[in-house]
Amino acid sequence: MKNNLHFRQSHIVSIKLILFLVISISSLIADKDLQFSNYIRSNSSYLIKPIYAIAEAPSKILNTISIYIDTKENLINKNKDLEKKVFLQSGIIQKIPAIKSENSRLKKLLNSSDSMLTSKILIAELIKVNLSPFSNKVVIDKGEKSNLYSGQTVIDSEGLLGQISEVNKDFSIVTLISDPGHALLAVNARTGKRIMISGTGDNRNLKAKYISLNEDVIEGDILITSGLDNIFPEGYLIGTISKINKKINDNFLKVNVTPSSSLTSNREVMVLW
Amino acid sequence: MVILNKIHIVAITSLFIGLIINILPVAEFLVSIKPPILLLILIYWALAFPNYINLTYAFITGLIMDVLLIVPLGYYTFCFTITIYLTLIYYPQIRLQSNLNKMLSLLVILAPYFLMSTVINSALGINYEIIDVCISILLSVIIWPGLFSVLRFIRQKYIS
Repeated sequence: MKNNLHFRQSHIVSIKLILFLVISISSLIADKDLQFSNYIRSNSSYLIKPIYAIAEAPSKILNTISIYIDTKENLINKNKDLEKKVFLQSGIIQKIPAIKSENSRLKKLLNSSDSMLTSKILIAELIKVNLSPFSNKVVIDKGEKSNLYSGQTVIDSEGLLGQISEVNKDFSIVTLISDPGHALLAVNARTGKRIMISGTGDNRNLKAKYISLNEDVIEGDILITSGLDNIFPEGYLIGTISKINKKINDNFLKVNVTPSSSLTSNREVMVLW
Repeated sequence: MVILNKIHIVAITSLFIGLIINILPVAEFLVSIKPPILLLILIYWALAFPNYINLTYAFITGLIMDVLLIVPLGYYTFCFTITIYLTLIYYPQIRLQSNLNKMLSLLVILAPYFLMSTVINSALGINYEIIDVCISILLSVIIWPGLFSVLRFIRQKYIS
């Protein structure tokens, strides 16, 4: 009896296998740009958010415990350091209005348009879940309710992080600049030349593309956003050129860029309008 | 009927816990080498109840993984379906094997999963380190006996 059952089942299993594989392959081809899965996620965000919250809970609890366990002396020292940092930075900020007005005066003299300034910044927290190691995406805890929209720039305290690629009710998904499918137009701060930067899948490494062999680039050059792509506002730090590989037979230089922001280990990010 | 319901409830609960473990934040060096716990749990249930925990389970679990881990739909569904199919083909042999042989059989069952995931990664233009994939397979095989005993304990306690 059991054998019969087994044999009868094997036909169903084969039919199921073919059906499921056909569905999987066709959806893989159709959903290369995550359009269908975005639709599913946005319609079932009320189910997904709690799962993310459960997965994030242990690390949150550990964080809270470590705050309670921290010694008083440590906290006082941390506070002193932060106060010092704020004091130094407020000193630097004092100069900005003067520099801004000087900049716009000079731009008027040159008859060029004034750079776009960001009007609003929203602080969002990362939802710490372990997504696919290959996806280079992070989840933040703000969504449609905070009026976020797809394509918004996300930065952290050290530099550019990426852009929002999907907005759901309570959370959004940020594609990091290290994603292999992501590219942006940067400017070399030293020479003013435009450079295209794309992700490699590795969060500690980006690559600069299409730089001709005789282009003036040196290791240590700082790259900032150009504002020409109409997505990222001008002037935000992207990273520094860490390695230049020149081969005479190649058409272009092979240039590695180290991102200035720590793309994986940050806790809070800023969303720009 | 009651036992059938019990099987589904216990399997779904353990799969949910596996899903949570799968997306728990871990240290950066572990991200690309961590074993696919959810798939291992699914393999166990397919070995234990091949008539009830079958390809439909694999497909739905894969679909949930695709949506949660923000990868193109079909990535995990494809890999999970193939792995569970292999498990369903070889379950009579695997059940009779010793623990060491079970570990080696798992290596055979998991190899196509990792092969498929690397093929899909290449097709989607995603970079990966082949050494990470190898370490991940090895870790899966190493943790298998422990996971197997835990799940067997759960099965004996709640489904009888």
